[in-house]
Amino acid sequence: MGRAGAALTLAAVGSFIGGTIATVGLVAAAKPLGEMGLLVGPPEFFALMVVGISLLVALAGKSMVKALISGALGLLISMVGIDPVAGAPRFTFGIDNLMDGVSFVAVIVGVFGLSEILSFRRSEPTPVVHAPGFRQLFPSRTEWRRSAPAMARGTGVGFGLGLIPGMTGSVSSLLSYATEKRFSRFRSELGKGAVEGVAGPETANNAHANAALIPLFTLGIPASPTIAVLMGAFLQQGLTPGPSLFTEHSEIAWAIIASLFIGNVLLLLLNVPLVGLWTSILRVPTPILTAVILVFMVIGAYTINFSVFDVYVMIGFGLLGLALRNLDIPLAPMVLTLVLGPLMERSLRESLEISQGDFTVFTSRPISAVLIGLGLLIICSPLLKLRKPKALMEDPEA
Amino acid sequence: MSRKKIIAAVAAASLLALTGCGANAGAGNSAAAAGDFPKKGKSIDLIVAFSSGGAVDTAARLIQPVLEKELGTNVEVINKPGAGGQIGYTALTGAKPDGYTIGATGSPSVVVSPLDPARGAKYTRDSFQPLGRQVIDPTVIAVQPDSPYQTLKELLDAVKAKPKSLTASTTGIQTGEHFALAQIQESTGSEFAPVHFSEGASQATTAFLGKHVDVLVANVSDVNDLSKQGKARVLGVMSGDRAPSLPEIPTFKESGYDLTAGTARGYSAPAGLPADVAKKLEAAIEKAIEDPAVVQKMKDLGLQTSYLNGTEYQKFWAGQEDDFKKVLPLVQKKD
Repeated sequence: MGRAGAALTLAAVGSFIGGTIATVGLVAAAKPLGEMGLLVGPPEFFALMVVGISLLVALAGKSMVKALISGALGLLISMVGIDPVAGAPRFTFGIDNLMDGVSFVAVIVGVFGLSEILSFRRSEPTPVVHAPGFRQLFPSRTEWRRSAPAMARGTGVGFGLGLIPGMTGSVSSLLSYATEKRFSRFRSELGKGAVEGVAGPETANNAHANAALIPLFTLGIPASPTIAVLMGAFLQQGLTPGPSLFTEHSEIAWAIIASLFIGNVLLLLLNVPLVGLWTSILRVPTPILTAVILVFMVIGAYTINFSVFDVYVMIGFGLLGLALRNLDIPLAPMVLTLVLGPLMERSLRESLEISQGDFTVFTSRPISAVLIGLGLLIICSPLLKLRKPKALMEDPEA
Repeated sequence: MSRKKIIAAVAAASLLALTGCGANAGAGNSAAAAGDFPKKGKSIDLIVAFSSGGAVDTAARLIQPVLEKELGTNVEVINKPGAGGQIGYTALTGAKPDGYTIGATGSPSVVVSPLDPARGAKYTRDSFQPLGRQVIDPTVIAVQPDSPYQTLKELLDAVKAKPKSLTASTTGIQTGEHFALAQIQESTGSEFAPVHFSEGASQATTAFLGKHVDVLVANVSDVNDLSKQGKARVLGVMSGDRAPSLPEIPTFKESGYDLTAGTARGYSAPAGLPADVAKKLEAAIEKAIEDPAVVQKMKDLGLQTSYLNGTEYQKFWAGQEDDFKKVLPLVQKKD
């Protein structure tokens, strides 16, 4: 809280570290890593989703029931749209705009952004924010020390998930946050200014973005729509991404990798020295700042699809978010299931088609069996009290 | 207190203004569209109903720069994958027919999706105005490089003896691959177990490379590289003649099975374009498809350019619809 400068710096440094390590991975071990990514078939993907959803337990906070309600709500919302396998619309009530499902960005902006602003109204006069002095712009020694393990975990999560074709960057950020919530020593402070909440996810999503290039370079497979645009650019220049790129056009391949390193450095250079500039935005009086943010949110929701419908979605979810806040229902589980739900459904159906209805497909394959076991373990861990029981009783958030 | 009210009023006003802007811009466009298409600075959306990295998407991105040059404005490729193309086609036919939205249309997906009432498609063949056909891409059957089957006959006989013993990839229900498998089942009695990868060809290929499915059913353009790298063994091509990029692979007919299947890919607009807009678009698309650099790059990807103009494409499309109506019951079984 009030450590805006430190947060921005940590985010920038974390991104740099995550991105650079991922690029080093690309250089050092692209081929074997690319092939590892192939090991993840639909059953393994589904098992990963199970682990992801099990971390919902970690995001639960005080009431497990409320967290589950939130999670169920997210799953319900993710069902809206065209059934990905059968092709028939569901829960769209005949509204064409809902055929693609509810726009994720509109939901997030509404549920987190708009509801937060709406909840300002009810509190006492908003606190005056002091523009931070120079010393306060950068993280303290303690904050650096605490961030290090978070960044390490974030790099691991982001890099690992980035290798898997089909995994989007937001999954990495979410799972990194959930990982911090579950495994960090200071997890009770998350949501109240713990540095791990910034350091982990930022590192994760940069590690993910850079690692996602590995399937492209080694197999010629785009792991996400963004990478696919890159692939299209390659193809237009007559270069086919894949192993042949390194043998036939090695100077281009290495030039691109070099540019990745340079890009990461530039990221650091652009962000850190200018931290003072960005944080001075806080000097604007809060009511005006809030109004400006509101305008940006409306414009942002509109420009997703150049459709006013998405603005209505944002407003609707803003009101929903407000209601959830008042009922003390946590918002994070809903977002988690909203992102993971469709991925989980798709991979479940594909897995069952491969096994032709046989559910043991998940347990008979080593990787997915291990992952599902891990997921179950995480779900049961509060019951098993794997940490010291005394600490659990003192910690109200357990 | 009053300060907050002012802020609230500003925010509400900006919301209303934005809504107003949206409405006005729409009305303005349809009036001005006829004379000076395309307006400078207004970009044209090229909707691709399949995920990035697949053949349809790649072809669209290859003609994109030529289209931009011919039309003098930005052309943006937008991917809207899912439901075997239905999501993208719905978006395409639902757009205003003012020339600022065109789309890549591929068969059988675009021909078949309106035929099956269970899919609840909101369009029919008449909702589209074909602008030009680019390629025909025959279907191939490939197995893992370490598979025991060396010829098509060995594979089909094995599956005939043990139905559903091998899994085969498709890119969704009632897609080209699904139809091909149904045709094979109908005429040879060999029944594969289809696995539908609704995110598209790249997802299916990834699963095949990871050995999660036994047989890859794909188009010539998808397997070219894989075959050259030895990562897939192509057993047969479902076309009348051998594919120029895979000359050593026999056709199904040569192996004793008279079956052809494949996708035809082109570009269309929502029906109802003003005549001069349609003419400009058709001309630009023809230039783009026939552009020597584009043809060469398509060839490198294993795709033979086979241009048909708007009217001819429409005739071809109608012919295909009749063909598919005949085979539809085969793919309607609940898998």
